[in-house]
Amino acid sequence: MVALLEIKEKLVQIYGKYEAYIIPLLRFLLGVITFTLINVNIGYMKMLSTMPVALILAALCSVLPVNAMIALAAIVVLLDLYALALEVFVVGALIFAFIYFVYYRFSPRYGYNAVLMPVCFKLGIPYAVPIGSGLLGEMYSVVSVVCGSVIYFFLKGVHENEATLNSASDAGTSATSKITITLNQLLMNKEMFLVIAIFAIATIVVYIIRRLDIDNAWMIAWIAGVLIEIIGLISGYLLLGIPGKIFGVILGGGISAFLAWGMQFMFFNLDYTRTERLQFEDDEYYYYVKAVPKAVVTSSDKQVKHIHKNDDKERITKKKFAEEMDIDEELLN
Amino acid sequence: MIHEERLKPMIKMAMFDKNDGKACKPMIQYARTDYISMQLLGSLVTGTIAFVLLCVMWGLYDTQELMKMLNGAYIFDLLKVVLVKYGIFMVVYLTVTYIVYQIRYSYRRKQVKIYYKNLKEINMIYEREEKLKSPSQQE
Repeated sequence: MVALLEIKEKLVQIYGKYEAYIIPLLRFLLGVITFTLINVNIGYMKMLSTMPVALILAALCSVLPVNAMIALAAIVVLLDLYALALEVFVVGALIFAFIYFVYYRFSPRYGYNAVLMPVCFKLGIPYAVPIGSGLLGEMYSVVSVVCGSVIYFFLKGVHENEATLNSASDAGTSATSKITITLNQLLMNKEMFLVIAIFAIATIVVYIIRRLDIDNAWMIAWIAGVLIEIIGLISGYLLLGIPGKIFGVILGGGISAFLAWGMQFMFFNLDYTRTERLQFEDDEYYYYVKAVPKAVVTSSDKQVKHIHKNDDKERITKKKFAEEMDIDEELLN
Repeated sequence: MIHEERLKPMIKMAMFDKNDGKACKPMIQYARTDYISMQLLGSLVTGTIAFVLLCVMWGLYDTQELMKMLNGAYIFDLLKVVLVKYGIFMVVYLTVTYIVYQIRYSYRRKQVKIYYKNLKEINMIYEREEKLKSPSQQE
């Protein structure tokens, strides 16, 4: 465990030192995965759905704020939907606009879940996102989890019905039918409602337990979250008559539990205050300050001091300390 | 000479300026009621747009039903239903807005208070330095 803690501290140090490069790199990687998955699954606009374009967009995302990635991903998705059928594009645009007005007006901070959720769904580990949001976010991040799930199921529905929706190949399907088929992917999708309900409950439960003043709150929180997801989804899938997905739920839940443990290990009780680069001035100087967060455990030669209950006798009072230092007691207030 | 004592609150203030300064600006400019009213007004617009989007989606989804209601004598029934639903939607939307921005105002107002505490500290340091300087200047 001590070795793991040392690794953690080293990682924190490295992060503090190279934060300026690590954050853009992570954004770039998320961008590459996002745009590649969009291209592979709904890449109907051939001109746009190429690896060089995905790389250029990911490179743009690495230097822009997270919400720019959401905007770019939404634009790419809408262009792909336009190439598939105008009706699907209209429905997609309406859904994105609705999500924007209902949620992003209040809290764009957890907007990245809208991208992360569909990506994790495709990677088979969507269960990690509600737990991560509950552990690291605020209560209202549950809405972003819901939005991400809606986007995933909408795009999945479009992908599964692409043959019917394709404007070039099927002239027999009327515009109204296409819109009905597209919206049915959301309105008639019982699996989506099940997943959203379970994920919302899991996020809220994890958040509430994490904030409780009890021992091992983080661990209890993520274990409860994983159990809610696994039991809830297995029961739901059995009720809906789709038992084929149970194995995936157990496997994904197991991987998510491991990821949740990783999150607890890396983020619990740790102030990830970033390295700050500041510029300010007073009447004498211009200051260019780099504020680096302090590391807690740095090397293997640390000393562990055991504190026993009977240490009370040794506890120093302000009065004693002031006497010892030969200073006025008020100076210590 | 660099005054280290003065630097601590200055760094904290610079951090605040960089990270939360922009978001906290309305908490300095507006009183709570003005700020909340402004946000409620904004939500009235965005909420109405969101509701219109929902109506458009419903219209596209169920065109036949919509045409039936528009053509027949059901147009007033349709209007009544839409207005009631709009009312319910807006009450929920505005309530959420009220709660969210109340909490946000309280939280950021606290941050602003900390900022002013640091500012006060710097002022005190300056005043102390001035007092120390002035007797020597008189001499």
